[in-house]
Amino acid sequence: MEKEIADYALEYARSRGVEYAEVRAQSQVQDRLMLRSGILEAYMSAVDSGFCVRVIASGGIGFASTNKWTKDEAKEIVDLAVKYAKMANRKEKIKFAEEKGIETNWTVDQKEKIENISPEERIAKFVEIDKSLASCGVKIAATMSSCTIDLTSKYFVNSEGSRITSFVPKIGAFIFITVAEQGKTEQAYEQFGYSGGWEAFREWNITEKLIHNANVLKNVIENGKAIKPGVMDLICGPEVTGIAAHESCGHPMEADRILGREMSQAGRSFIYKGGLFWIGTRIGSNLVTIVDDPTIEHSYGYYTYDDEGLKARRRLLYKNGVINEFLHNRESAAKLGTRSNASSRSVNYDREAIVRMANTFVLPGDMTEEELIKDVKHGIFMKSFTEWNIDDKRFNQRYVGREVYLIENGELKHPIARPVIETTTPKFWMAVDAVSKKVEFDAATCGKGDPAQGVPVYTGGPCIRLREVYIK
Amino acid sequence: MNDILNNTEEIVKKAKAMGADEVLAKTTSGRYKQVRFSNNQVDTTVAWNDYVTDVALTWNKRVVATQIRNFKDVDGTIKRLISLAKVSQENPMFGGFAKGQFKYVKSQVDKKILELENPIEYVLDAINAAEKEVGSEIESGGILFGKFEDVLLSSSEGPTAMASHSAIELSIRAFSQREASGHSVECSSSLKNFNPARAGVKAGEIAKLAKNPKVGDEGVFDVIFDPLIFGSMLAVWGSMVSAFYILTQMSVFVNKLGEKVAPETVTLKDNPAEYSLANRVFDDEGVPTRENIFIDHGVLKTYLHNTSTAKIFDTETTANAGLVMPNPWNIEMEPGDMNKGELFKQVKKGLYLTNTWYTRFQNYAKGDFSTIPRDGIFLIENGEVKQSLKDIRISDNVLNMLNNITAISKERQHVHWWGEADPPSLSPYVLIKNVHITKSK
Repeated sequence: MEKEIADYALEYARSRGVEYAEVRAQSQVQDRLMLRSGILEAYMSAVDSGFCVRVIASGGIGFASTNKWTKDEAKEIVDLAVKYAKMANRKEKIKFAEEKGIETNWTVDQKEKIENISPEERIAKFVEIDKSLASCGVKIAATMSSCTIDLTSKYFVNSEGSRITSFVPKIGAFIFITVAEQGKTEQAYEQFGYSGGWEAFREWNITEKLIHNANVLKNVIENGKAIKPGVMDLICGPEVTGIAAHESCGHPMEADRILGREMSQAGRSFIYKGGLFWIGTRIGSNLVTIVDDPTIEHSYGYYTYDDEGLKARRRLLYKNGVINEFLHNRESAAKLGTRSNASSRSVNYDREAIVRMANTFVLPGDMTEEELIKDVKHGIFMKSFTEWNIDDKRFNQRYVGREVYLIENGELKHPIARPVIETTTPKFWMAVDAVSKKVEFDAATCGKGDPAQGVPVYTGGPCIRLREVYIK
Repeated sequence: MNDILNNTEEIVKKAKAMGADEVLAKTTSGRYKQVRFSNNQVDTTVAWNDYVTDVALTWNKRVVATQIRNFKDVDGTIKRLISLAKVSQENPMFGGFAKGQFKYVKSQVDKKILELENPIEYVLDAINAAEKEVGSEIESGGILFGKFEDVLLSSSEGPTAMASHSAIELSIRAFSQREASGHSVECSSSLKNFNPARAGVKAGEIAKLAKNPKVGDEGVFDVIFDPLIFGSMLAVWGSMVSAFYILTQMSVFVNKLGEKVAPETVTLKDNPAEYSLANRVFDDEGVPTRENIFIDHGVLKTYLHNTSTAKIFDTETTANAGLVMPNPWNIEMEPGDMNKGELFKQVKKGLYLTNTWYTRFQNYAKGDFSTIPRDGIFLIENGEVKQSLKDIRISDNVLNMLNNITAISKERQHVHWWGEADPPSLSPYVLIKNVHITKSK
């Protein structure tokens, strides 16, 4: 990464008389190993580095990027960005919410530096996981696993005087398993993610989790029964609570979606001005408070400053069941007459920074998991999910259980095979009548943007109990 | 182009000289443009210049790969890659890169896409066409994307190839009311056949018909799939034919070669023809691409292979190699024998779906999935649209749906949008009977 080229690009953009200019340079060292049923398919290692220029000129936005680090190239992409911004010819001129320039630098610490762990050792660890799984007593038909390591350095400068450097190491893993027993198959995946060093690998306990998953799938094949469809209580484990928080709170609270900027691809939101839902509207019970927080140290979605150079903070999205605060970047904040809450993220120098979640989760309550179960006469405990989806206004959602147990008179019984909850966002959150104390997180990759930008996030929360929902 | 070729060949020679067994290098010089728009206005216009060399090499059946974007220390990068191979682990399934020298069809390319001075004009054409259909209350959003790539490939095993690719696509979603929208796409490899207004008109027509939707009913319905939503189905089914997904059990087609998986009227192929968005004349091993029929009159004939997966399945590569795994390029369904109007007349009571998103699986091997129709959803009675609907979900199974295909239109459309209909396809209107529909309770 050559900072002087980035500085040159900014100065040149300023000299073109634009209303706003920023340059975001990024260098990313990425290693990725991929195994199929214990065999290393390939090991990929690459360094990507480049920079982008984003300008506001004549009320339009222009963006251009390159991976050629020369002043001529910098000039070319600035000229392109300015030309495109002016060409937009917008009736409604784009402005950014006011902010002051910041000069700082930030990094994420590594207890055990990833760079010190050889590729040989990384490979050996994942091969070992596959071997342990293959000998765990469950018939594994196939596995596919990958481990990705990213070391990302960024340099951000803008025409308001911001100058921010950062370094973030991230490690992620994804494992997909197929269990085949009695001529039937069941499948599960597990994702892990961490901002920091190799210490994550030990904390994840991947082998134990995968063997647990394999046994759960075997148990579902051998003992799982269908649920008789009907109205009953549902306890969601942290994994299910987390996906629901992400899909039916985080996404609909993205202000660019609310304003229609994502109307074609990621869609709009059931929340909109003049509609049934807006800030101050009840969407869940008093016990439901959902936040998005990029400042959780070492979380997968961690950052200190966003990709518009603003200081990150916790955002209180649904507060005691009421719609409270949208996720904003500077463009959406200006449109809604507020300030950005630093939700602007981009996956690389060649992608526009847009409004994104970081770590979205339900805040804990004061009950234990056992207390939640004890008070259920007839219901299910859905600890994890397989298939899930939600419509593009983020209103109609569906979660299909993976590890699920029947609850009768306060006691856990046999596994239930793939029960389904298919319901609306307010019905889901209004049904919550109890929340447990312990919050757990899962790593995920959130999709949005065109071209697609999969950003690392946490989803999570405690166990939550929903009363009288329809399960089939 | 010659400089790029020389540099690419040089990388292969250097890697061989440093001890690699087999080496592939592919350089792509790409120039991409995108216009994003919403609420009838341009939000941002983007240009990317990208110059990258993908390298895959082997040493004693250890496979490693990299992407070179910084060309100041190519020697150092290759040296590190070979060192990496030496500490890596053997892949006994690696069957080598394709060997021999091949003749390639000359790639057809439209340089006007590269020279496109004002891409915003195309966006305005589409927005105005949609507005003409619906009126000034319409709100349209979408993207225009243009690409122009020069690609050079060099392999230590013989192939040397060069080609250029061009493509342009427009995706427009038009809202006539808050919950009434139509989505359409226009995709082409050249400007000659590119008509963004056509997409605007169709999005507008659907949006107009979609006004005042009611919540749909659960049940089992005969469903007409528009080419756009059927493109999403084709993308999923085509990807499941990749041998890699067979080996990882992420496919319903495991152990089904030679079996009947669809009615006789169904023929599906992968074909990166010059007219498609994914036009290409060689794969990432330098093998000339070709048309591969994978479902022939209802029978599963082949998986899609690179050289290594072909050896595992005791067959030949189908020229679908990516650098690591085989992929489909462009899925095509053979046309049927009735036109769109005749196909609609087949339905006494059913649904017409125009688009979907969020297709997710409970179990890829079994094929159980759900997906959420969006944009125009219509109740059909006696071949006519009776009512606009909303808030339903398809909750079904891939093999059930394939087996229940009952009619295919003569008309086909090139479709691709976002990750939902990707890879691109040439997709007809299709009638599928007994599709399971669910909704929120």
